[in-house]
Amino acid sequence: MVDPKDLQLDTTPVVLLIDDSQFVHRLLDARMRSESISLIGEFNGKNGFERAVEDSPALILLDLDMPVMDGFETLRALKEEAKTKDIPVIVLSGMDSSQDKVTAFDLGAIDFVTKPFELTELRARVRSSLKMSALMKMLSQKAQIDGLSELYNRSFFDDRFKEEYDRAIRHGHPLSIALMDLDHFKSINDTFGHPAGDTVIAGVAKIAVQECRSSDIACRYGGEEFVLIMPETSPADAFTLCDRIRERCEATTWAQHPGRPVTISIGIVGATDGAGIQCTPAAMIELADRNLYDAKKSGRNMVRASDINGAQVKIAKAS
Amino acid sequence: MNAPDPNAFSLDINDSEDAELIEYFLGELPERVDAINQASSSDDVEQLGRLAHQLKGAAPGFGFPLIGSAAAKLEGSIRALDQSEEDVNLVRAEVENLISLCQSYISQSKNSH
Repeated sequence: MVDPKDLQLDTTPVVLLIDDSQFVHRLLDARMRSESISLIGEFNGKNGFERAVEDSPALILLDLDMPVMDGFETLRALKEEAKTKDIPVIVLSGMDSSQDKVTAFDLGAIDFVTKPFELTELRARVRSSLKMSALMKMLSQKAQIDGLSELYNRSFFDDRFKEEYDRAIRHGHPLSIALMDLDHFKSINDTFGHPAGDTVIAGVAKIAVQECRSSDIACRYGGEEFVLIMPETSPADAFTLCDRIRERCEATTWAQHPGRPVTISIGIVGATDGAGIQCTPAAMIELADRNLYDAKKSGRNMVRASDINGAQVKIAKAS
Repeated sequence: MNAPDPNAFSLDINDSEDAELIEYFLGELPERVDAINQASSSDDVEQLGRLAHQLKGAAPGFGFPLIGSAAAKLEGSIRALDQSEEDVNLVRAEVENLISLCQSYISQSKNSH
């Protein structure tokens, strides 16, 4: 789930300085004290790159003229590594060369500062880069979130499910997915109005998130449909989790329609051993959808789970 | 050469953070001067260029812009070096100039303590 804290700008960002000169480290240590940042340092490109992968700083200040692995090489490595490619890099250089600037920006640097630097200016550039990258991070997260349910949206699901599917097959790990659909949702909208319907969507999404573990990925699949990706989870375990969601939905009293409970039907498909997955991701979703359809047909307020090879795992219905 | 103008300190010795930086830089300087001397007497042009480059970038930030520009001149001459007698002498003169400038700051700070 997206942690709302990640969307704020006020957590102390970590800034990594990669420079071979002890003087520059000492200078920035002193001159960045007034900024609300936490400054960490490395003295060569190789260590700097490794530190960036490990600590994912919010910003990197990178010197160009370093022995062994120079700044351009380091910048290239940072931009090629998935874990560091989105970290903004300000290049520091003792050479005021246009060619160096062009190369730095072409390689993905966000800014270029010539040494000796005016400290007030460097501080302003650091602040501006941090702000811009926090906003970009926020935008890219917002683009993945469904506004009403605050779950991940469909396009995020499509990408993420493919990733989890590939990972499960590669490592032979368990993987399950659940399709959930609110029972007779249309009648809530028709009887109590769309705002009441929206409250139900948001409320059920909240229940799902509360019951999920941190490794589960809850998404809004469509109108009143949700989908849950459960990595490292067998269909039997997925069943236990989803049946809790079903129970809690049924037990919830809605302020706008206290006499009208909301129930949910859930179809699960999963593999205990990912290496045994033979079908495509789309076919896997279709199998879950078939279980959902069966749950609806058999009276709703029900969870049906099966193993991907077709073996039925469990069926549960409200008592 | 003349003793450097104390006004060339662009930092404020009365500000504690500035004083800390000035003190740090002056503390490191003798070691740097030794390294420059050594690189110069062993004709290690590459090392000499690196030392000049670092001083050029750092000294102004610590309040020593004169050292910064002397180091920048030295670095520039090293980059233009084509082994002619004239150029080699120019580099030597600039090494001398940088070292004596550094030393005047070092002795000035010793006297003030």
